[in-house]
Amino acid sequence: MSDNKSILVIGGGISGLTTAIEAAETGYNTIIVERNPYLGGRVAQLNRYFPKLCPPYCGLEINFKRIKQNPNIKFYTMAEVENISGKEGNFTVQVKLNPRFVNSKCTGCNMCVEVCPVERPNSFNFGMDKTKAIYRPHEMSFPMKYVIDSTACPGTQCSKCVEVCKYNAIDLNMKAETLQLNVSSIVYATGWNPYDATHMDNLGYGKVKNVITNMMMERMAAPNGPTKGKIVRPSDSKAVKTVAFVQCAGSRDENHLAHCSSICCMATLKQATYLRDSSPETKAIMYYIDLRAPGKYEDFLKKVQASNVIEMIKGKVAKIEEDSETQDPILVVEDVLGGKKIRQQVDMVVLATGMEPSIKGKGTGVQLDENGFVIADGQQAGVYAAGVAKSPNDVMTSLQDATGTALKGIQSAARR
Amino acid sequence: MGDGTVVTPDVGFVRSLQEAGADTLKKCYQCATCSVVCELTPKDNPFPRKEMLMAQWGMKKALASDPDVWLCHNCNDCTKYCPRGARPGDVLSVLRKSAVAENAFPRFMGTIVGNPSLILLALALPILLFGAFIGVRMSSGQPLFPEGQVVFDKFFPIHYIDPIFITTTTLVMLSFVISVSRFWNGLNTQPYKLLAYGRFLPSFIATIKEIVFHNKFQKCDANKERTTAHRLVMFGFIGLFITTNWAVFHMYVLGWRSPYSLTDPNILALFGGSKELVFLAYLVFKTFGNLSAIAFLLGGIMIVSSRLKDKGFVSKTSSFDWLFASVMLILAVTGLLSELLRVAGLAVPAYTIYFIHLIFVFYIIAYLPYSKLAHLVYRTVAITYSKMANRDIM
Repeated sequence: MSDNKSILVIGGGISGLTTAIEAAETGYNTIIVERNPYLGGRVAQLNRYFPKLCPPYCGLEINFKRIKQNPNIKFYTMAEVENISGKEGNFTVQVKLNPRFVNSKCTGCNMCVEVCPVERPNSFNFGMDKTKAIYRPHEMSFPMKYVIDSTACPGTQCSKCVEVCKYNAIDLNMKAETLQLNVSSIVYATGWNPYDATHMDNLGYGKVKNVITNMMMERMAAPNGPTKGKIVRPSDSKAVKTVAFVQCAGSRDENHLAHCSSICCMATLKQATYLRDSSPETKAIMYYIDLRAPGKYEDFLKKVQASNVIEMIKGKVAKIEEDSETQDPILVVEDVLGGKKIRQQVDMVVLATGMEPSIKGKGTGVQLDENGFVIADGQQAGVYAAGVAKSPNDVMTSLQDATGTALKGIQSAARR
Repeated sequence: MGDGTVVTPDVGFVRSLQEAGADTLKKCYQCATCSVVCELTPKDNPFPRKEMLMAQWGMKKALASDPDVWLCHNCNDCTKYCPRGARPGDVLSVLRKSAVAENAFPRFMGTIVGNPSLILLALALPILLFGAFIGVRMSSGQPLFPEGQVVFDKFFPIHYIDPIFITTTTLVMLSFVISVSRFWNGLNTQPYKLLAYGRFLPSFIATIKEIVFHNKFQKCDANKERTTAHRLVMFGFIGLFITTNWAVFHMYVLGWRSPYSLTDPNILALFGGSKELVFLAYLVFKTFGNLSAIAFLLGGIMIVSSRLKDKGFVSKTSSFDWLFASVMLILAVTGLLSELLRVAGLAVPAYTIYFIHLIFVFYIIAYLPYSKLAHLVYRTVAITYSKMANRDIM
């Protein structure tokens, strides 16, 4: 690969896709490198997303179609950047392609899954259900190819999938490859991971069974999720009547993430509407420190408040225990406006965990701020960042940023 | 809430709190994590979140009469979980200091003792006073350090010590009467105004029990080891108080020149002529006194060393705090040293150390209503009051 007018985009989430596609549609070559076996990133895991509350595939399908139609775009899944050298206009990038064990002859007939004897926790659904060792990442995954989890698959000694596959699509001896790319500019669109809720020892996640995270809630509410869209609690699969949302679970906290993740307030308001839509009697209680509903989102806040689906209490939840008999979580909070320390028993707690930049602590040589986000200015010439890699934001803002970043990449490519 | 109170921020007061060690107080963003993780707070109007807000606004009067800062035992669970590094534990400790200074009578004493940079001024009074008494003794031709066997009575006669300390103690009690009634009147306002005083005795007894058994300390999570340290210091202090009164009883009620002397016929007669019994009583008396002193010293060392090792969430300790801890340690060390040097017969060092010891004994007794030690009165009053107001139920 020696087309040094290419723009490399690291990360195939909604921001990376946007940067790559927008740049490609002006005639430049773009390359997307994605670590997961599918494109779409965190947005693919949502049930619905702002601003129009559509299912994620409204937006993602259009982008995938644009990729398919455009020969200027190349993408690699299960790929990780290992090394970057050179300068603007002439970067050499080493990319490791992890083996998928399934080639492009796969038709998605699902025969392999039926014979596979091994299961793995489904990471797409945050471990709430299981898949076989050979699986499709999710129902709408693109590229439409199955994949084998090498940590779960026993390998050639089993080979049941190979035997059953009529299309010779499975190769258990597939090895990792290394790829050299020559590109003119690099865009970090590495996105975020949900903050690990087990770090907050006082909020009970991992110990109190009916405490989940907001991203788990998205999967649960999604029709293709582990519960097929039914919102039930983990301990006994009972439909929930009262759900507490704990804001700033790890965000704006020097002991965890010092920054405001900016999206969690709106995510909670959105999830309150999931509850309302699933059963009108369900009650949501939101415990917050400050509400962040900027710009147009204020209208959404007003609408949700007016519809009486959510009660809002000012005060941060700092302790969650489990009622041993009912397995109900009991949360302790000071109702700041009412001046009382209260204990509230609910069916389920959703921790509004925030965004931890994926690039944090990876030692890539790119300049990060104290919270681990890529600093917008002051990078080496030809190196840029887009979306949440740069700052915690919603999809809408990330897309605007990603489109702007496409122009930056183009300038680097055109300067030569 | 919403009763139309107008608060005028007292910026000078806020600054004085920050300078005294509450430099983090403005970091608080009122999330109330502290009030939730605190094991000691009442459920209604919990602390320390509201105190953090009051401190940010500089509400000096309200803070000086807030019982809750005294319910706080500096466990520091709040500081450990605070998402902003606002260190509520440290802030409340500074608020207690400011409450002592604000309620103190006379107020200038509160200012002098409350300000660590004025320590020399505070020490100058006992140095001059005791120096003058030694001068009086020397004016009759005696040397500064008396010859012969080391007897502290020869260096600084008991009949000087007692009038000084009896006068001082009386003044201290008078000062406390005025400061505590100020404090009480401050407490007895809305929202916790007492309807009846009938619950005083049971509340007071419950409070004393709680203090003796360290029930509140034991509820601490982040900083548990302070229970043992405080027990040692407190019981050591009480033990030394008992020892002193025991000696006073010998001297003034029984008229003894020296405790349990085997050669004193009156003492022997009191014990039915049995030298063994007198010696046994002597041992009990000495052991009790020395054990108390050692407990006091050990506890003091534990407190200082736990403050030195930084666990991140443990009190950063304001200079006012350090001053007090140092005074207590000097008191214990000089006390034990003068005893050892006396027994060793080293006259000059023994008398010198004893003089320093006297200065510091005076310091803690005379300045009791204004130093950190005033907490023994304020805390007892505040906890009793809170129980009467149905606020502090353990």
